[in-house]
Amino acid sequence: MNQARRLPELLAPALLVLATALLGLEVSSYLQTYFLDTLVKVAIVVALYVFIGNSGVLSFGTISFVAVGAWTAGVLTVPEDQKRITMPGLSHFLLTTNVGNAASLALAAGVGAVFALAVGLPLMRLSGLAAGIATFAVLGITYNVLTNEQKIGPGLNAFSAVPQTTGMWQAAGGGLICVGAAYAYQRTRFGRKLRATREDAAAAAAAGISTYRQRLLAFTLSGALAGFAGGLYVHLLPLQVGNLYLDLTFITLAMLIVGGSGSLLGAVVGTLALNGVYSFFTAATNTVDVLGWHLTVPAGTAEMVLGVLMAVVLILRPSGITGGREFSLPRRRRPVADLEKARATT
Amino acid sequence: MILAFANLSWPVFADALALGGIYALMAVGIGLVFGVLRLVNFAYGQLMMAGAFALAYGDQWGLPNWLSILFCFGVVLALSALMDRLVFRPLRTHSPAVMLVATFAVAFVLQNIALIAWGSFGKTAGSLAVWQAPWDIHGVYIRKIAIIAVGTAALCLLLLQLLLTRTPVGLQMRAASMDFRTARLLGVRANRVIGGAVLISGLLAGVATVMLSVEQPQITSTWALPETIYVLMGVVLGGLNRPIPATLGGFTIGFAFGLLGGILPSNQSQYLPSFIFAAVIVVLLVRPNGLFTRGGAAVERV
Amino acid sequence: MTALAVEKLSVRYGAVEAVRGLSLEVKPGQIVGLIGPNGAGKSSTLHAIMGSAPVVGGDVRLDGSSILGRRPEDVARRGVALVPEGRRIFGELTVEENLQLGLAARTKRLNGGGLAGAYELFPILREFRTRHAGALSGGQQQQLAIGRALASDPSVLLLDEPSLGLAPKIVDVVFEALSRIRDAGLAVLLVEQRAQRTVALADESHVLANGELRLTLGPQDAGDTDRLVKAYLA
Repeated sequence: MNQARRLPELLAPALLVLATALLGLEVSSYLQTYFLDTLVKVAIVVALYVFIGNSGVLSFGTISFVAVGAWTAGVLTVPEDQKRITMPGLSHFLLTTNVGNAASLALAAGVGAVFALAVGLPLMRLSGLAAGIATFAVLGITYNVLTNEQKIGPGLNAFSAVPQTTGMWQAAGGGLICVGAAYAYQRTRFGRKLRATREDAAAAAAAGISTYRQRLLAFTLSGALAGFAGGLYVHLLPLQVGNLYLDLTFITLAMLIVGGSGSLLGAVVGTLALNGVYSFFTAATNTVDVLGWHLTVPAGTAEMVLGVLMAVVLILRPSGITGGREFSLPRRRRPVADLEKARATT
Repeated sequence: MILAFANLSWPVFADALALGGIYALMAVGIGLVFGVLRLVNFAYGQLMMAGAFALAYGDQWGLPNWLSILFCFGVVLALSALMDRLVFRPLRTHSPAVMLVATFAVAFVLQNIALIAWGSFGKTAGSLAVWQAPWDIHGVYIRKIAIIAVGTAALCLLLLQLLLTRTPVGLQMRAASMDFRTARLLGVRANRVIGGAVLISGLLAGVATVMLSVEQPQITSTWALPETIYVLMGVVLGGLNRPIPATLGGFTIGFAFGLLGGILPSNQSQYLPSFIFAAVIVVLLVRPNGLFTRGGAAVERV
Repeated sequence: MTALAVEKLSVRYGAVEAVRGLSLEVKPGQIVGLIGPNGAGKSSTLHAIMGSAPVVGGDVRLDGSSILGRRPEDVARRGVALVPEGRRIFGELTVEENLQLGLAARTKRLNGGGLAGAYELFPILREFRTRHAGALSGGQQQQLAIGRALASDPSVLLLDEPSLGLAPKIVDVVFEALSRIRDAGLAVLLVEQRAQRTVALADESHVLANGELRLTLGPQDAGDTDRLVKAYLA
């Protein structure tokens, strides 16, 4: 009975994802890229949410899992003859190994999870500012290594010849998988335990909840989803390591915060809303027609707008658009419950 | 790697000291504000960027150097005060992590405003380039900027140290960064202390900007961003709370970068950032108060 | 002439009412005690006077004029000094620096008080002036905290449980100092858990329980434990 009551929490974000995909199928192929990009970003932001939203701990490191996932899926799906030309420094194993689309996504998720677990084992003891800085350091290390290490990927160059398998169905499917996984997690007792530590750490500890263990679990899941999203991303665009560093970290964090970091709905709403704005202004760098009126903006406008929105939300309404609440249908009042409530207060 | 030290020469050593000095100034600027406000200002680099653009304009308008530098200071201080008023003050009651994200947002916004205004190419601040020229000291060529940077940094840090330890204002600032609440109960004026910290932080940013612009005269939207990140790591390594350890942390990172960058071939020094980041993680796990501070439980859960 | 007057003060933290309609007065040259069980609202009263607690009703008056709603540093500068619970000295600063911090609140009044007064009252501080305050014992730190408060030359001195964690002999020293402070003309409001000693020392003591004033006692009631206990548990 309880499960059914909570189903809208899953359905609302899922339907939003589907609606985006369906809308995306109706528009010109030029605009479709933005829809595809949005759906992949949904996957990333949901991955962010799984950890940050449930634990209340800031992590700057999620994009490094996206990057690692992208690298995994990318390197293992570029045809071998192309690899020899574009990534001659690759290790022999990576050079000769190739997998199919689905396998690349699964492996991306796997590598993301393993990396997250390895990072999380020492780091999940930290909270607050220390966690933020430590995870930022992880991001820095990942960026540094991926940029310089030619044996595992293209280094500073962009990926090329990765099969572009992320069409509308893959993107939407990926988004739905992440939404589904996030929902499933937060309904389990693990998710609930972690949320308890977010609300009141002392009380949770007194109740026997291991903050460390629950955070590690969420962090690993977040890494898996992020890696998976990275796989989706590399199959969409010729990514370069700079696309998977500070800017993306900021943009996805902004989407989560503006939407409302406390809820899954917030993650999805924030992404759709902000990426809509972001895409609009990005497209406007090449002139768009808005209500019969030509608009051209210089490069950087989209990012600036996002930054301002995030700052404004942080200052005025830190809980975001959704206020950290999930979607729920208005409850029908039950007379018995009201009576009990009345009795309790006298 | 030990053999690489054979590559060590006076010019390389001096350059490393200079970089360390610049980083040290930035570290103090960041550490001072953190001590008093519990705010890690990720946007510190953008403050410097703004100042550097001012220098570039000074160059473009043909202003004499001293006037350009004054203009640079003016811009940095004004922007710094504006940041405090508009963004940091409303967020003062939030946790340090939230404030870090807010400064991240500010940095991002400023970076992109610069991109919009000046494009990806940016502007050149070339008038101080004369300091790149070397001085001939007994047959050893050391760049003027190296000596100037080290000297200026040392002087600024000395003055700051005197301010903090010998004046009432400095004492109040130190007390406020240890226990703001009690300091207020003793009559220490909160706004004055915060304003003072922001002011000094801005002044130090100005000095660092001028020095760094000689090393990097091409001012773009991401000018001083990598340096800010490394300095931040240095400050964490040294000790966020206290000015002196923070300075040492910043200096060490700068010096290490300068030294190892100068003596190691690039294929060995390219992973230096990773080592620094890894060291920061270790320090956060083992000694959250930093390497250079005296041990002891912190009131803050950093 | 009343130095400090609290009138129908109410303090509320969120949903919790810490102080309800408390009224008391402290005159110059007087020690008024405020005793009661834990959570009675004694600390909250002091913090409300200093302007660092959420006051929802009533007034606080210094020499007749209201200081309600002022910032803590402004209240301190007007001559109200607080010796906080747990001392809260700056362990990494020297004893002398701690005392100098007390000078921060002095505006124009330069007569009396100052470091000399603190050193005279607590000679041990002069001996340790260059030591880091964190190295002092609990009792010495308490003396430092009081000295620091006095350095600002206040007209009103508030103390929040100064005897907490101190050995009886040291408590003697502290209470003896309070006596001398009273004789020097300050108005002293002393919050304490050690009921008997406080009642004996103070000119009058108020018993606070559950945020409300229950009973007022004079020094002559110091031996009357029954009355005390009843007031605490009421």
